[in-house]
Amino acid sequence: MSRFRGDFFSLNMDSLQGLAYGFSVAFSGPNLLACFFGVLVGTVVGVLPGIGPIGAMALLIPSTFALGPTTALIMLAGIYYGAMYGGSTTSILVNVPGEAASVVTCIDGYQMARKGRAGAALAVSGVGSFVAGSLGIVALMFFAPPLAEAALRFGPPEYFSLTLVGLIFLSQLGGGSALKSFLMVGFGLLLGTVGMEPISGLPRFTLGQLQLAQGVELVPVAMGLYGIGEVLIITERITGIPQMIKVKFRELFPTVAEWKRAFPPMLRGAGMGFFIGLIPGPAAIISTFASYTLEKKISKHPEEFGKGAIEGVAGPEAANNSATAGAMVPLLALGIPFAPATAMLLGALIIHGVQPGPLLMTQQPEIFWGVVASMYIGNVVLLILNLPLVGVFASILRLPQHLLMGLILLLCLVGTYSVNNSFLDIYILIGMGLVGYVLRKLKFDMAPVILGLVLGPMLEKTLRQSLFMCRGDVWSIILRPISAVLLLAGIAVIVLPHLRPLIKRKGKVSQ
Amino acid sequence: MPGAGKRANAERFELPKLEEVNVAIGVLAVVSLCFLVLGGVYLAGSFFLPMGTVEQPGAGFYPLLVGIALVCLSVPLLIHSLKKKEIQKEEEEAFPKGKDLYRVLGVALALIFFAVFLKPLGYGICSAALMVAVLRFLGLRSWMKTVLISILSTAISYYLFAFVLDVPLPRGFLFS
Repeated sequence: MSRFRGDFFSLNMDSLQGLAYGFSVAFSGPNLLACFFGVLVGTVVGVLPGIGPIGAMALLIPSTFALGPTTALIMLAGIYYGAMYGGSTTSILVNVPGEAASVVTCIDGYQMARKGRAGAALAVSGVGSFVAGSLGIVALMFFAPPLAEAALRFGPPEYFSLTLVGLIFLSQLGGGSALKSFLMVGFGLLLGTVGMEPISGLPRFTLGQLQLAQGVELVPVAMGLYGIGEVLIITERITGIPQMIKVKFRELFPTVAEWKRAFPPMLRGAGMGFFIGLIPGPAAIISTFASYTLEKKISKHPEEFGKGAIEGVAGPEAANNSATAGAMVPLLALGIPFAPATAMLLGALIIHGVQPGPLLMTQQPEIFWGVVASMYIGNVVLLILNLPLVGVFASILRLPQHLLMGLILLLCLVGTYSVNNSFLDIYILIGMGLVGYVLRKLKFDMAPVILGLVLGPMLEKTLRQSLFMCRGDVWSIILRPISAVLLLAGIAVIVLPHLRPLIKRKGKVSQ
Repeated sequence: MPGAGKRANAERFELPKLEEVNVAIGVLAVVSLCFLVLGGVYLAGSFFLPMGTVEQPGAGFYPLLVGIALVCLSVPLLIHSLKKKEIQKEEEEAFPKGKDLYRVLGVALALIFFAVFLKPLGYGICSAALMVAVLRFLGLRSWMKTVLISILSTAISYYLFAFVLDVPLPRGFLFS
């Protein structure tokens, strides 16, 4: 246990040791296979509209039951970061983002493709993803252990504040109406209270259903909201097989001038993405918008943006990859997921009987270091998969829509049933699918529901423990230093957007 | 009658918009009402649980807070959804109309059919029926292909899950 403790210098040494150990874990046969399979699935769902990484992870959680927790996590994480690679392919070639985090790439990526620079755009986004993904993992490796170390001193009040503030951040940063997002958090928390309550085991809100005592499962909810809900949205419009811009292999090499323009945005995107990844919210998506805005602002030729500026591809594509690495930090160091995809990873860990939290790194180092090392391997595999083989993946889009949607629905249904062999889960799945469709149309954000469901029990447990600990003295919970800082940040995030117009108005009056 | 004149005026003012007035506005009001009712029922339900004290909160303590939050959030949303129609229009996507709507409803009904009849009819019949419905609704014209793809995908998925992954898929009364 002491191997991973100590001052900063020895911590760095420990990181390298840990990484070496991680590689020995990740290079074992089943783990290597799981990594390869995970990034392959990730690339495919990244390319496909209609099913994204969250739906795919939900779909494949049941199939990991037979595997060990490390292997399962390696595979599921592979889907998460693999999807960031696949998403850009269709953005560039067809102007259809395969994934929400690739919406921005459409703007300049497709324009580049129309100018005959599709190969360059694909190469830059692939290399950018690789560079940023790898840098993100380095940062993850050095950030997570000290954070976990610090978190060992966290008591229930700190965890309560952290979880609460995480949910607040998520609702405010998700885009769209904060009121709607908060309502979705509430809905998720409500779902999370169904079943046995965490302290005394009393069944609540089970409506007399014995099965509901186990609680509402994450898999049918996530698959309903993200899988079936999305399929129903796509059902609205029948589109023919999209026109695709063809790319030849030798066109995949950007010119020296293009490299020179693309490289700085990659590095900026990587740095920015990682830190945005640490903040609760749909980090990968936000990071792409942030990076695009930044590149446009500091560019010497902002007029090219929107007409095929290579910076507009390199920056965002790098940012979303390092954001996935950043989002892994709170999950692996604190055991708290702040993005829907990492919530799925947490769900998988819990199903496999792993206790997530700051002790994970020291008590089960094979999971942490194994996953970190597998991410390095996965990024190399992804670069190989996505550059020379890009045409193969893009051709998946040539499958007719009716077949694709039918198969996705079938997989969602049978996959959900296979988790518990439960009819109830099927009802939940389809119910959530229909609810998800309507809510999506009304521009409700789905991520808070997932996070509310996953974080709800944690929130309740830590709240009750804190109250018990402080004998009901709420102030002594709030005024603990770390709690206070976190809660202040949460309040600031809620209040600041409302203050801005007030300040502006005041400024006008004084003029 | 000034009141009637006013109403007629308002109607004339609103009429051209009525076509465009997004169904979503009405739906949002209904949805927020649903959340309000859900929150209210849930809140009431939490009172049946042991509440405990602040020093030692019981099983109903946290649901009480969640219920209050739900009610407090859905009321302003409901009010918001009833007024400011112009602003609202930008906030929602239009719900599909005509053929597009039938397509979505068709697939949704096929899914509900699947959920209801999975137990009595078994996986085979239900998944084949679902595939037929989805393929037809999404525009596959040939019946030959529809039937063929449905049977094939059902057979493959059944084989994969029942025999390879050992999931006891429901067989229904015909095959049990």
